[in-house]
Amino acid sequence: MTELYSASGSKVHSHKADIFCRDETRVDWHSKALWLLREKRDRAATSIPEWEQLRQLGSELKLHTLTHLTDYLQQFEQQCQANGIVVHWAKDGQEHNQIVLNILAKHQVKRLVKSKSMLTEECHMNPFLEQHGIEVVDTDLGERIIQLAKMPPSHIVVPAIHMKKQEVGELFHQQLGTKKGESDPLYLTRAARAHLREKFLTAEAAMTGVNMAIADKGAVVVCTNEGNADMGANLPKLQLHSMGIDKVVPNMDAAGVLLRTLARNATGQPVTTYSSFYRGPQQGGEMHVIIVDNGRTEMMKDKILAESLKCIRCGGCLNTCPVYRRSGGYSYNYTIPGPIGIAVGAQHDDTNSIPWACTLCGSCTYVCPTKVPLDKIIAHHRRLKAEAKTLPYGKSGYMPLVGRFMANEAMMNTSMSAARLALRVLPGSLLKPFSGAWGKYRELPVAPESSFATWYAKNRSR
Amino acid sequence: MSSKNSILSALKQSALTAHPMPVIDIEVTPQPLVDTFAASLATVAGELHQQGGLAALQAKVDELMAQGLQVLSLVEGVNGNRQVPNTAHELADIDYAILAGELGVAENGAIWVSQTQHRVTPFICENLILALPEKALVANMHQAVNQVSLAQGELGVFVAGPSKTADIEQALVVGAHGACSLQVYLY
Amino acid sequence: MKIALFIPCLVNQMMPEVAIATLQVLEKLGHEVVFPQGQTCCGQPMTNSGCFTEAKKTTLKLLNAFKGVECDAIVCPAASCLVAAKENFHEFDSSQEAQDVINKLYELTEFLHDIAPIEHFARPINKKISLQMSCHGIRMLNLATPTEEMGKQRFNKVEAVLGKIAGLEIVYPERIDECCGFGGTFAVDEGAVSAKMGKDKAQAHAATGAQYAVGFDPSCLLHLDGMIRRQLLAIETRHIAQIINDAL
Repeated sequence: MTELYSASGSKVHSHKADIFCRDETRVDWHSKALWLLREKRDRAATSIPEWEQLRQLGSELKLHTLTHLTDYLQQFEQQCQANGIVVHWAKDGQEHNQIVLNILAKHQVKRLVKSKSMLTEECHMNPFLEQHGIEVVDTDLGERIIQLAKMPPSHIVVPAIHMKKQEVGELFHQQLGTKKGESDPLYLTRAARAHLREKFLTAEAAMTGVNMAIADKGAVVVCTNEGNADMGANLPKLQLHSMGIDKVVPNMDAAGVLLRTLARNATGQPVTTYSSFYRGPQQGGEMHVIIVDNGRTEMMKDKILAESLKCIRCGGCLNTCPVYRRSGGYSYNYTIPGPIGIAVGAQHDDTNSIPWACTLCGSCTYVCPTKVPLDKIIAHHRRLKAEAKTLPYGKSGYMPLVGRFMANEAMMNTSMSAARLALRVLPGSLLKPFSGAWGKYRELPVAPESSFATWYAKNRSR
Repeated sequence: MSSKNSILSALKQSALTAHPMPVIDIEVTPQPLVDTFAASLATVAGELHQQGGLAALQAKVDELMAQGLQVLSLVEGVNGNRQVPNTAHELADIDYAILAGELGVAENGAIWVSQTQHRVTPFICENLILALPEKALVANMHQAVNQVSLAQGELGVFVAGPSKTADIEQALVVGAHGACSLQVYLY
Repeated sequence: MKIALFIPCLVNQMMPEVAIATLQVLEKLGHEVVFPQGQTCCGQPMTNSGCFTEAKKTTLKLLNAFKGVECDAIVCPAASCLVAAKENFHEFDSSQEAQDVINKLYELTEFLHDIAPIEHFARPINKKISLQMSCHGIRMLNLATPTEEMGKQRFNKVEAVLGKIAGLEIVYPERIDECCGFGGTFAVDEGAVSAKMGKDKAQAHAATGAQYAVGFDPSCLLHLDGMIRRQLLAIETRHIAQIINDAL
């Protein structure tokens, strides 16, 4: 497994996926585990007769907010300030991290407890704070596991989904002193509870991500199952919440719609255990909200890419994606894997390969609770890569040739009849080495004697 | 230019055309509220007590105290053996917290709890008991978000069952960082 | 009706039996069928790789093959190519003439379900078939309600057409409409993942105990066929046109 998240070696998606696929038993296990989430999602969605109506509402209310974002962000800021919340704005990850560090430094914070936030992953905040002497403790169980294992998340909702319980057991044995060989999830979870309770009780500050920010209330909504965000935010006197500009919604009605689909689409639960609405700091405490752009306004300049900002980070598209399930979260050269990771990360992918980690099957688009047109966005990224002349897999070399070949009937007919002849008369063992990935995994096609056009000319010409 | 202004000015270059806010008019599926709530609460691993109301709750509290457990009640008319401490951290050894549920949602078993002093109370207690008036049940989240109070400076939370996780091989474990069990007394 | 056949290059070169079956089905149903000359690739291999410039020439050549052809419908036995043709014609030619061609484009199942339903099948087929619900056909052409979509009004045009054949038992693989992993150049760019998807799909079809895995998208069937023979599975692939042709 270490091969997959090491910094060395190729970062190209197909190369990483090839390594992941070598252990087929593990691929099957991974694919099945995630498909189980898809099945739970299907059951939860079926139980709501108005499911498709909710998806449409989710899509439209997010689109409405995005198209009035200036107004809603300003309203949100004003309402927050009226509630005693300090609001900060950050253009990029670096500025975000610096703002966080300044707040923490002012309060002489040595230990920060943190609940899940894909934004802080995107900003690479943890290593930055650690460099400045602050202990950052991820408190979501899955996040804690991968933090102890020194790995990034491999999924946005279930970050340690790629690890087997035996591996977690061994990790906890080494790092938390649990019994050797013990891998019972209940035992390991209780051990993590005890370990993290001590961290909650001694932290000087807490940070969470934001699922929704309610403009007309000046409140942030944080959803967890474990209660880690709330244990964190309500013990120390200092609470910080980081949010992308895309997290704002107009009002409680909008939040009501998204809260109905978020957990159902993520894990098949009717709602997360805790949906917490923070409308100001606790008595005698301080509450900060950091609003981050980090490339989002840039995406909004492109009509197609802009729609990816409707995403509510449920992870449903990862669970349904046949490629993600068989290539794992570490095969994508971006913090967020899977379809939504390609949609929001392809422009940062220096291998230019992630837009091609997709068959354009469209399942993600139909699963999405806010109707993000993921397959269209991914196809659009391919076009942008082609226009920027940054195609992967040798495509810029062979695609023009294919284009000319396909457009030339005579050339195609001549060479295809030669190919059919070769397939019919030459032994497979001779041909396979020349057929690349196709013949490596599949038998070569059984070639017919002639094309349909030839048959038609013979049998139907009038 | 401040970062705020530069973000707001970048938004002016958005390629999206204005989209109206949709009308949220979801029809309520007619269902018996208590039964639906009971079923939903069971799916989120909560336990419902429909009979006996607050008297039954007090009897339960008496039983817990007799076992030597630490019980903090913030529900009027229900008495525990602990007082609200000065600091939130002193709640760490509370075995049971008895709090008022303000509103229950039939479709998902969530109960709205709002907390001003020691906001951590519903999370830090080992076990949570909520007292919920039967008349405070609503069908779905659309109704719920319109009825809950969310005063300035408040934390309001929909609590749906005890804390849980499935982060290790997707095995459901009840009792993660928040309360390890949730009982609801309907009255 | 007067029908023009749209035979995508893959079918023309590698699976002529699918084209022949399509032609024979339409003729048996009493339609007058023509096969316009000069058909080239729909451009999908290029546009799916983002290479629109490279796709333009072949797309327009294909479009030109149909422009001015007198017919009521243009029928294609390959869902994915049909979707690409529609999109690419639109991309490269905004003329009314192009739109007239686009408006006449039908995938075979779609045609036999929506436009000219089959009244009567003459012969029973006593076989068990496992339907291959290929992605572009269901999610872009609405041949069936995808499993991701909820709600009461579900439909499946493929089953509706084949279901009228006496004796035919229709079953589905597990994860009914999960992608088979072909994906055009994906099969080569992402060889390992594509192969694993294909293997899983081939095994799921074989596990149903059906004699044939039957689909409406030749490229998926070609991929499955290569996988089935590599895995030595006891099942074969057939195109719906071949099944329907046998029943008429």
